[in-house]
Amino acid sequence: MAGFTNSSCWSTPEVYKHHEQQKICPSRPKYREGRRPKAVKVYTINLESRYLMLQGVPAIGVMTELIELSALYGAVEEYRVLDEYPAEQFTEVYLIKFQKLTSARAAKRHMDEKSFFGGLLHVCYAPEYETVEDTRLKLQDRRRYVNRTTQNKTKEQDHGDEECKKPMSSDTVATTARTSSGDDQRSSDASNKGETSSTSQGHYLGFPLLPLPPQEFLPYRHAPSYDRLYSYQANQCRTIPTEDKMGSLHNSINTQQQLEPNISSVPSSSGGDRGIVKRLSKNPPLAAPPRFVPRTTHLENRKRKIVETNKDSLFGFVDKNEILIGPKLPDRPKMDMADESLNITANMIRNTLKKVASVPEVKPTEKKTKSAKPRRRI
Amino acid sequence: MSGKGHSATGSDRFEYLQTLVTEFQDTDSDEAKEQVLANLANFAYDPRNLEDLRTLQVTDLFLDMLTEENENFVEFGIGGLCNLSMDRECRDQILQSEAIPLVTGCLSSHREETVLSAITTLMNLTTAASRTQTTDTAVLQCMLRFSISQSPRLHNLASVFLQDCCTEEQVARAEAQMQGHHPTALGIPLPKD
Repeated sequence: MAGFTNSSCWSTPEVYKHHEQQKICPSRPKYREGRRPKAVKVYTINLESRYLMLQGVPAIGVMTELIELSALYGAVEEYRVLDEYPAEQFTEVYLIKFQKLTSARAAKRHMDEKSFFGGLLHVCYAPEYETVEDTRLKLQDRRRYVNRTTQNKTKEQDHGDEECKKPMSSDTVATTARTSSGDDQRSSDASNKGETSSTSQGHYLGFPLLPLPPQEFLPYRHAPSYDRLYSYQANQCRTIPTEDKMGSLHNSINTQQQLEPNISSVPSSSGGDRGIVKRLSKNPPLAAPPRFVPRTTHLENRKRKIVETNKDSLFGFVDKNEILIGPKLPDRPKMDMADESLNITANMIRNTLKKVASVPEVKPTEKKTKSAKPRRRI
Repeated sequence: MSGKGHSATGSDRFEYLQTLVTEFQDTDSDEAKEQVLANLANFAYDPRNLEDLRTLQVTDLFLDMLTEENENFVEFGIGGLCNLSMDRECRDQILQSEAIPLVTGCLSSHREETVLSAITTLMNLTTAASRTQTTDTAVLQCMLRFSISQSPRLHNLASVFLQDCCTEEQVARAEAQMQGHHPTALGIPLPKD
């Protein structure tokens, strides 16, 4: 392993502050809570790196399995045990160098805080192992990616503007929208460095949009009253955002639900290069763009709706769909799952439960009439 | 604010970002400010948010943080600028606000993350027009000292700065002026952590 020939190879590695796991922030207001509790930390390109440090690996000879697991997220160039690094008893610390930053990012997101052979992995970036050239390339790649993405976004916006201006012929609009967003998907996939795919699905509208009348918007430094999203009207590309409310891309549920391998057991794949696994998420046809909404969001939405309907009931508002005929007995609240298929399932379950509840209890005598099955004697 | 019902898929992303800015302006709690600041800085990491953040003039918000006493404010603020400045339009917006002295001021921070973000931001802000400011002698001498630091990250970033943002003559000149001076006499201390 010729790779790690930094000058500090033989000296005791420093325990840098960014290796330590910070305490989770306990005091976030609910609207700002992310999908997972997190510490207050800012990620910049300097903190990220192709090099990952994995702490907490049980010292039971599972190096191969660890590397195989890591390789699920992208090609691993080099790896070694960091014997010199202070580690908890019976655990080891590994340094893994990925070929691409995006792989390292994905690996960190999926492996951090996960159980591995009975131990809890703590994964962090290790940029101090980079060479000057590594750092330079990292910054250049980052700049290129950012500018390419913003250029693509501008192109999509311009295209959206053009669509607004065209009065009819929604077919041609749809076709061009599909091809352009197809192109965008390809180019954004190409430039996608690990963020979950951000292709636009809202291109096809089928009707022309009038631009909003000029609104006064009040950014930072002014009183915070903002009426409408003036820029959003023009920007019809509803990208599927991947950050949670704290701006963190590092724990995106979309990706997790698509990719989450069973980390507690050894994966069956033999460490081949899976490349950028996120591209597996093929977008559904544009004509009906269902958005993938994570289950927790559904649950939260339901909770909110219940709270809201309860609030409304205090004011005596009646659901418009109900035909009120005199005083109603309080009916058992039926939860609306806000999704047709889920509602069907829920109703089926509800009906089944009713049936089961209505069936009289099985009499004990019935059990006795069941004769013992003739047992096979070996 | 808590009843806002923000959906995780964020079609009202702009409104959410604006809510963050509003909370930052309205709250008295330093702790809440730090959290929101960190959120905004992290949002600045995703290029898709940059336009919204420009509209909300979060650039100025971050720049204002650089002169705060609270070291977290400074660290998160310069981190946000580091993320924003990767984009050309954001970079131009930052340059319009006379940002360079504020950013170079961060080079003398005790916190390594702050210094690292400052170096990267300076690199991003170096254009043909701004070069004389971002690569003036004091900055170069600072970078020269960082480039011999024990900290690999500091050493790497400073080296990239010196190699990519300056000419060899500039560096040589700055080096010559440093000859015979004890490093700490320059007055810019190395970060402690």
